[in-house]
Amino acid sequence: MSKANRSMLWIFFLLVACVQLFPLVWLVDFSLVDSNEFFSDSVLVWPDIIKWQNYINAWVDGQFVRYLINSVIVSGATIILTTVISLSMAYAFTRMEWKWRAFFFGVILLGIMIPIHATLLPNFAIFKTLGLTDSYWGLILPYTAVSVPFSTFILTGFMRSIPRAIEESAVMDGASIYRTVFQIILPLTMPAVVTVAVTTFLNCWNEFIMAYTFISNNSLKTLPFSVMNFAGQYASDYGSQFAVMVLTSIPAIVIYAIFNEKITKGVTAGAVKG
Amino acid sequence: MHKVLSDRMAIFIFVFPGLAFFILTFVAPIILSGYYSLTNTIAPGTSVDMVGLSNFKELLLHDERFWLSLRNALLLGLGFVLIQHPICIFFAIMLDRIGGKAEKWFRTIFFIPCVISVVVISRMWLSLLDPTFGLLNKVLGFLGLESLQHVWLGDSSTALGSLLSILIWSGFGWGLLFYYAGVKGIPEELYEAARLDGATGIKLHWRITVPLLSPVITVQVTLAMITALKQMETVFLTTNGGPGDSTQFLAVYLYNQAFSASNYGYANAISIMFIIVCLLVTFLLNRIMKNKNLDY
Repeated sequence: MSKANRSMLWIFFLLVACVQLFPLVWLVDFSLVDSNEFFSDSVLVWPDIIKWQNYINAWVDGQFVRYLINSVIVSGATIILTTVISLSMAYAFTRMEWKWRAFFFGVILLGIMIPIHATLLPNFAIFKTLGLTDSYWGLILPYTAVSVPFSTFILTGFMRSIPRAIEESAVMDGASIYRTVFQIILPLTMPAVVTVAVTTFLNCWNEFIMAYTFISNNSLKTLPFSVMNFAGQYASDYGSQFAVMVLTSIPAIVIYAIFNEKITKGVTAGAVKG
Repeated sequence: MHKVLSDRMAIFIFVFPGLAFFILTFVAPIILSGYYSLTNTIAPGTSVDMVGLSNFKELLLHDERFWLSLRNALLLGLGFVLIQHPICIFFAIMLDRIGGKAEKWFRTIFFIPCVISVVVISRMWLSLLDPTFGLLNKVLGFLGLESLQHVWLGDSSTALGSLLSILIWSGFGWGLLFYYAGVKGIPEELYEAARLDGATGIKLHWRITVPLLSPVITVQVTLAMITALKQMETVFLTTNGGPGDSTQFLAVYLYNQAFSASNYGYANAISIMFIIVCLLVTFLLNRIMKNKNLDY
């Protein structure tokens, strides 16, 4: 590609990126001003005095810290459970020899197609009977169940591409199958495991409808909820509402900034083999 | 080695937890849903009267909203395939061509909306499209196009289109990433061979890149239709199906039937039809696409 063309493309991409991210810039901008400014004619406003009170409202009345902790607990537990379960299943599906493995692999993959919204109503009844609604488990269990099929799919794809020689020598040396999986296979599949962990994180962190259905106890709600809660409480205080939205988005953006290469690599690996 | 790898106990320990989760959250609920769909119960835990298949009869023969939801899903899916995907493919190819630091930077930037919670996205767009202080109407006013200002989400003629725009905006990064991965998988030699034959620029990509992307396109089109069918949160948080069912979707409809209209039994019948439709669409699309690929 010629230099002139490349510069043109650069400018074009930059323009598109500005347009694409403009709503987010707008969100941050208006989270810093008084709600009265919303009704001015200007597209963006330059705050004479930055209204930090919006963020104080969001942090204190939005109970940001409590929801943040809940989100961290639920996402963390889901990531660990999903990784362990998917890794051991992927190992059984790719390496171990048994009669029904193709069948069960197919069954698990069905989980990607079935809409979770269709299982929402009966799950609500089941969880209620089991006493799982209004507990962390009421979110961790369904989140894990939803994450496992996709994660197993990614991990089996990756595991097929790594040579068997290393684990074979480990088994020859007398290591148990469990040690082999978690001490030999886990490090070898680390790139795929990170991809799985990051996608699982983003899904749990941002999940709304299950949290909305299964949790009614305020002290157990997760971050997306703080936005909803706050919208009711501060109905006309748009500035504070926007501040909550900005605060809620920051953790996911930070995690993304750190791991974005891994997401791309994981998707690329999956797509090429898929 | 063989003995270790066919250890039944180990296989059980590896597969059972995942399977148990699957049964608990997919199989058991679907069976239960099937049971409730044959009743006229109003909420979980209340009295249960068996009504046979009457819920399904009502749903399929007399319920306009059900068919309207499917129509909306189809329109949204077509919107994804005809508008979002060509844009994604175009950007994926250009991203691959630009190379260097820019490739990495723009790939990262374009994906940012994908990491933001659907609640934030929905509420943000509600504000952006707000008729009084929304950004879009302000920009139109600024450009002197007051005549185009609109109650975007509140008018049944523009609500579905507005929803499509929100979803294209928030899903652009994922589509781009998948097509980009596909473009990266095309070996450079093929381009060189085509260039020797005199193909350049748009012609080169139209003749070489797009056909070679067809496996990725096949998967993505299926996923787009499924995504359209499964649409829930964004609708629920912006229009909640309205105005006048113009943005009604199956998942929103069943949710409101269960928890607002107290038709729990009927809502479960919608759930069962919903699952059947999703599996059927996946199956049919795979069939159609496979045949097409053979012709090619």
